[in-house]
Amino acid sequence: MTKIETTLSSLLADIGTFYDKKIWHFLTVNGIDLGEGKIELQWIFSKYGAKDEIIIYYLISEYETAIPSIIGLIPSAIMGEREIVDMFGLTVSGVEKGLYLDEDSIPHPLRSQS
Amino acid sequence: MKKTVQIPLGSQHISLLEPIRFKFECENEKIIGVDADVGFVHRGVELACTRKFEFKQVGYVVARVCGLCAITHSLSYTLAVEKLLGYEANDRIKYLRMLMVELDRIHSHMLCLAHTAENAGFEALFMQIMAQREPVMDIQEAISGNRVQFDYISIGGVNRDLTPDLSALIHKNLAALSEKVDALMMLFDTNWSLSLKYKGIGVLSLENAYTYNALGPLARAAGLASDVRSESSDLPYEAVGYTMVLESSGDIHARNFVRLREIVNSIAMCRNIVDNLPVGEIQEKVKGKPKGEAVVRVEAPRGELFYLVRGSGQNILERVRIKTPTFSGIPAMMEVFKGSQYADAPAILASFDPCMSCTAK
Repeated sequence: MTKIETTLSSLLADIGTFYDKKIWHFLTVNGIDLGEGKIELQWIFSKYGAKDEIIIYYLISEYETAIPSIIGLIPSAIMGEREIVDMFGLTVSGVEKGLYLDEDSIPHPLRSQS
Repeated sequence: MKKTVQIPLGSQHISLLEPIRFKFECENEKIIGVDADVGFVHRGVELACTRKFEFKQVGYVVARVCGLCAITHSLSYTLAVEKLLGYEANDRIKYLRMLMVELDRIHSHMLCLAHTAENAGFEALFMQIMAQREPVMDIQEAISGNRVQFDYISIGGVNRDLTPDLSALIHKNLAALSEKVDALMMLFDTNWSLSLKYKGIGVLSLENAYTYNALGPLARAAGLASDVRSESSDLPYEAVGYTMVLESSGDIHARNFVRLREIVNSIAMCRNIVDNLPVGEIQEKVKGKPKGEAVVRVEAPRGELFYLVRGSGQNILERVRIKTPTFSGIPAMMEVFKGSQYADAPAILASFDPCMSCTAK
């Protein structure tokens, strides 16, 4: 597993340069609450046909910061992006709430203070 | 502009056993747009794993994510924790874990084939396949104590060993099943009704399989050579005779055949495992508390199951991320529906073998 740090401003360019759909399989978007309003976001890839080759692009963000969506590059990322919008209460550009949670559900259940 | 009509399929529908809703936008009978809602029964398992349970208990919690493929959930989690604890299981443990995963794949694929037959209006074949699946469930019950949702894998090993009687039962039941699978392959290939309902229906092209990151039998039926069993070194699949099964037409027929041929390969692997089971303990002591971050991929019956576990050296973990195959396969499934006839939607959906229990984890 290799972790590569990225930033909100360079995320789309970094993944756009790296991602070739016939070489890399996109696994998911992941969030890990770090406490004190900070969250680690991860975009996870594995290489087709290679043993144990996993690349994770990551960055540290804050709850209120809008995250760019990568579905223009990887359409299947929509599921993971909708999940982090619901479970961490984040804003991802152009991604709507309500995949898992209803309006009267506990908000952002995977935040550490929830 | 042509007039369109919106037709829902689910969340409760005669062809669905689980709560998922597709909203189809149709032009006459042709589907031109589709939206999916998968969140009807979200259970908060990831949250429970990092708040309510200690890491030694979590393996038994994640086994409840899904009844059918519980073994792949507990295996993925256990492998991730073992990596964080710096432990690698001996070969006997690895072989026994593979045996249960492959038995699970056999009966899961048979369940899907049965439902696919049912959706083609072939009720008798549905009953026949379900009956033929029973001997595999019997093996699982004899080994683990449960037909489904069994707690067989634990950190540092497995909970029960194979006895000579169990080995004999496995050989006997798999030999009987093997003959039935040969007959099923003939039937699925040549029966006129099934061909009419499956061939050329619900096609996922190879290009779209790449674009939408299809996985599991859905991807391999489209010719995308991806199977975690060949891309992970956590379990020695090459040593027990694993071969990747690929088809190319990407339709329901191809998905059926990927599953049928994988059943044949899984039967062969199970026999190899029983005949060549290495000597060793089935349970080893593993000390410590998980610290750091580990990722694990396991090929579940429906495709890649992914776990990310992060711990800080405490009994309670910081994060357990579960990515299930049906969840990440939904964009590819939605793409297949577009351009299909609405009347084919239930059969197409059944051929995806969706697991909403996994999806709404």
